[in-house]
Amino acid sequence: MKTLSFLFQTAAENFWREKWINALTVLTIAVGLFIISTFALIILNVDVTLKQWSKGFGLVVYLNDSLTAEEEGIIKKYLKQDTDILEINYISKDQALKELKQSLGAMNPVLEGFEENPLPASFELKLKREALEPFLIKKKVGQIKQITGVADVQYGEKWLSSLNSLSEGMKIIGIILGSIIFVAITFVTYSTIKILFYRRAEEIETLKLLGASRGFIRLPFLIAGLFIGILSGIMVLFTLLSLYAFTTSRITELIPAVKAFTTFFPPETYPLLPLGGAAISLIGSIFAIGRIRY
Amino acid sequence: MIQFSDVSKYFDNESALTDINLSVEKGELVYITGPSGAGKTTLLRLIYRAERPDAGSVVVGGMDVGKLKQGEIPSLRRNTGIVFQDFRLLTNKTVFENVALALRIHGIHPKEIKERVNEVFGDIGLKHKMHEFPQHLSGGEQQMVAIARAIVSKPTVLLADEPTGNLDPDTATIILKLFKEININGTTVVIATHHEALFKGTGRRVVYLKEGRIQKESIA
Ligand SMILES: Nc1ncnc2c1ncn2[C@@H]1O[C@H](COP(=O)(O)OP(=O)(O)OP(=O)(O)O)[C@@H](O)[C@H]1O
Ligand SMILES: [Mg+2]
Repeated sequence: MKTLSFLFQTAAENFWREKWINALTVLTIAVGLFIISTFALIILNVDVTLKQWSKGFGLVVYLNDSLTAEEEGIIKKYLKQDTDILEINYISKDQALKELKQSLGAMNPVLEGFEENPLPASFELKLKREALEPFLIKKKVGQIKQITGVADVQYGEKWLSSLNSLSEGMKIIGIILGSIIFVAITFVTYSTIKILFYRRAEEIETLKLLGASRGFIRLPFLIAGLFIGILSGIMVLFTLLSLYAFTTSRITELIPAVKAFTTFFPPETYPLLPLGGAAISLIGSIFAIGRIRY
Repeated sequence: MIQFSDVSKYFDNESALTDINLSVEKGELVYITGPSGAGKTTLLRLIYRAERPDAGSVVVGGMDVGKLKQGEIPSLRRNTGIVFQDFRLLTNKTVFENVALALRIHGIHPKEIKERVNEVFGDIGLKHKMHEFPQHLSGGEQQMVAIARAIVSKPTVLLADEPTGNLDPDTATIILKLFKEININGTTVVIATHHEALFKGTGRRVVYLKEGRIQKESIA
């Protein structure tokens, strides 16, 4: 225990003695971590936005004209049993016509040519987010079409799938970019610790001759690596937090509605940045020191 | 304690030591002497496994040190106090910390480290320079510190390579007294030196090396 505190002290002294190399490394790692976490933040926000939008997204089930109120009730009952469906809204023929007239505005007279209301009654369905996968939707549409009395089912397939693939695409890019940066950061720490190690070669040789164990020699370097990683992580966390606060305040000033869509990482994930930085640079350090031979 | 059997050591096909047979008993104090390049340092380095014999074996405390596994070497060296010919003091630490380091490697409690380091600095008469950095000390003072570091851990074996090379005769006498003391307390001591004056009349065993061979052994 006492030896451990000595090794921590040694690490701190060494860290301070090589402060410029270390500062440069911390900065380099921070840039890498910053890119990764900014990307993650963007993906997170795209996801949240998607979720918000898709809340208003649903299926429209058009009904046959000949249905009685009772028959419509049976269809509604059937739909109600489906746990994927959050909300069912009945739009009667009259209501549909009214809405259409409203949206046509000045073009209203176009409809006067019809003797009868040409619009069908419909159910507007809101679906759970999980049920919005394109292939799941296709399946559901097929099922609903089977119901007698249902004339047609419409849904925004293209819109949904393109949004989904955008989010998927960004995740894939994120993972690839993240891995590249991960390797780069590991390599940066590897080189730094290697340099620090070589600069102390003479001292390490003396330590070996005095009978220091491998752990005694290596631990200060690993602690230094760990410290570099944690420091970078903390730096990035605070930079990101303040940058996020700044940008969102600017954007919401312009478009207040955006506020509903922007999110930061949840606080319980904050430690992930320093921990991630620490893990990455620890790996680099372990590779750098390698095996100590006597 | 230390047993050389038919040991030879080569550097780039040049022989540094040839057919060395030497035995040092536990609790003995032995001098190794000979001209420059005779192989004194190499002989000592074989004992703490800084070199491995190319032929023969070196047995220390019952262990064939040439056959030690990597992980077993630190413990051998922790039990061996070494005064290096070039001191090997760490320039970024005070001389106090340099000496303390030997004890830290042993995992000794900081409080005890402080006491023991203080004591050894008292013994070598350098207490007033304890918190200086080595490069601010004279060659002789640095040598004293190197000696302090070697003896502070009360090793089983003490190897001193030219320990009085930079010392005036009076200081050399103090150091020899220290070696004698540690020897009486049970440490086996091997001193390599080309200063004949150091061992003359001590009644100790002296091993004469020349061109890597043991030329003769005698009692001084
Ligand atoms: N690492 C090495 N590589 C090559 N040759 C070496 C090495 N170490 C020692 N030698 C050679 O081995 C021989 C013995 O050297 P050693 O240092 O043991 O002599 P020494 O008796 O300690 O001399 P000195 O009194 O000058 O310290 C010398 O010829 C030296 O050049
Ligand atoms: Mg020598």
